[in-house]
Amino acid sequence: MIATIAFGLLIVSLIIQIVVLFKKDAGADSITPWLSLASGTLLLVEIVRRSIAIRFVALTGMFESLIFLACFLSLLIFGLRYIKAAKGNKIIPFGATIVAVIFLALASSPLAPSDIKPPVPALQSGWLVLHVSFTFIGEVFFTVGFVSAILQLATKREDRRQTYDRLAYTSVAVGYPIFTAGALIFGAIWAEKAWGVWWSWDPKETWALITWLTYTAYLHFRLVRKSTSKLVPALVIVGFFIAMFTFFGVNFLLSGLHSYA
Amino acid sequence: MNSFFDKLYDALRSIKLAVVLLVLLALFAIVGGIIPQGKAVDFYLTKFPGASARVILALSLDHTFSSLEFLLVAAVFAMNLTVCTLHRLANEFAKPFKKRRHGPDLLHLGLIILLFGGIMTARTRSESVINLRKGESADLPDGSKIVLVDLLYQEYPDGRPKSFESIVAVNRAPGAGTGAGISGGSAGAAAAGATADSSLARRAIKVNAPFRGKGFSIYQQGWHAEQQAELSDAMGLRFQLDPGMRETFDGGFALFMASGQAAEAMRAPGGATSGQATTTTGSEPAAQSADASQDAIFLLEKGGMRTVVKAGPGQPVGPFTFDGLKDQSVSGLAIVTDKGYPYVAAGFVLVILGVFITYIRKLKGMLA
Repeated sequence: MIATIAFGLLIVSLIIQIVVLFKKDAGADSITPWLSLASGTLLLVEIVRRSIAIRFVALTGMFESLIFLACFLSLLIFGLRYIKAAKGNKIIPFGATIVAVIFLALASSPLAPSDIKPPVPALQSGWLVLHVSFTFIGEVFFTVGFVSAILQLATKREDRRQTYDRLAYTSVAVGYPIFTAGALIFGAIWAEKAWGVWWSWDPKETWALITWLTYTAYLHFRLVRKSTSKLVPALVIVGFFIAMFTFFGVNFLLSGLHSYA
Repeated sequence: MNSFFDKLYDALRSIKLAVVLLVLLALFAIVGGIIPQGKAVDFYLTKFPGASARVILALSLDHTFSSLEFLLVAAVFAMNLTVCTLHRLANEFAKPFKKRRHGPDLLHLGLIILLFGGIMTARTRSESVINLRKGESADLPDGSKIVLVDLLYQEYPDGRPKSFESIVAVNRAPGAGTGAGISGGSAGAAAAGATADSSLARRAIKVNAPFRGKGFSIYQQGWHAEQQAELSDAMGLRFQLDPGMRETFDGGFALFMASGQAAEAMRAPGGATSGQATTTTGSEPAAQSADASQDAIFLLEKGGMRTVVKAGPGQPVGPFTFDGLKDQSVSGLAIVTDKGYPYVAAGFVLVILGVFITYIRKLKGMLA
């Protein structure tokens, strides 16, 4: 119920943003950031409610993961108003809201059963909580980078292109250490504690590594390429699709140690 | 000559080379992430149509991450990382202290140590799995002995496992042997002796909470239930036999092979007629009890002659009486040695420190 209200708020926010986008002379509206904040807060309440019910941090299933992603993305959409390069921009919050709505739409689909189930022994670890939460928070920043990179490729105005480039870079640069710690390091520490092997080329591990390699390549490539290169934002876009495949595709298409995820 | 080495040095420390290698590593990982790894040849021939299976096998894509091509790229990447780190460190140390930025150095150094640890793990890691019943013991790699004192299992109302943990006692004094041999348990005497020894330190091994020994760790890997055969001798003294264990008597032995149901389950795929499990050779008559679920299969040796006997509760098995089957839990423990992990852990610490120090500065410029 709480998640449904949060979903509704994001839909309302999306509709308002579409209306504002069509009004060329209108500036960024002041309502939708607060709708995003309300939605994020409600999703956080839902995570806390489920956590109390299972007496463990509710991050052990697909539904909870999607709720967590949508929650932090909604909070970041609100936070965009405090970010220099994004202040006053209408398209970046709009793009990020679309992604948050997609996450919640998937959460309400049969792909993500919403039953509240306490975790099996393998999932009862503090390292799991760190692994999953850091990975998703990193990916939330990658989402903003993804939207910025699309705009960077789409725009023809040099000043806007530079702004989007700076925002894409900053988003990735903030998300990258969080993702590195969560997806690779905390995940490996947890695997060592649970299974006695810190790396086993499991499909999920491998795809998390591919995501990391892609963003690492982007951060280095940006140092040596000209600012007009289209390959630089393309890497951010590819990185985001790989991150999403790591989250969804691997779960449904490839089997491995993360089959419960 | 100098210029050749200068060019080689510049090439090896170049960011462009790093980007190319990162992309190559990612491409290898994509291939290895899509094609199932380490399966039998037949798997690829049946799963992948026509020429694609042959291509996979010819290019070693069935074991991408240990293929020569991947290892070569990884080796060049390690060299690039090392040269780049040394070059950068030299430059940073040449700067005034306040202007130094050591985040990337820590990150790169951490990755080098991590790669070294990974190689150590690949070369030295070993894992052996032991299945212990309550009271059984096993030798550990450092010569000490582990005894399974108890196995606690809990389920959620929906039948999913809530927790399973092995309560073990570890004798840290050097023991008789090395390796992971199992002893005790079946006849009860060893079990009684082991569990009664209060001088042994007791520890709980759970999933996510391994036991750390000297140079090895023990992980709770699995749990399953199996049945013991309960027998009594002419004096009325009761004892239990695990599957595969035997009890001797004058002139022979009785070995508990399996429960009647387990034997049925094993026969079923072969097309044997169910309900007609009894197979006897020799002179021992076939036994059939009213409750077939309590039947057990024994191998009986008497006077040099071996007979397979199916017995129900209360029926004789040689000089013993079979009293029935008893459920018992078996704990699956993995004993792992990995000399690379301490280096890996050190690498993790440096990578985390380095990556946050490097990029945290970006936050400052981000806020309005």
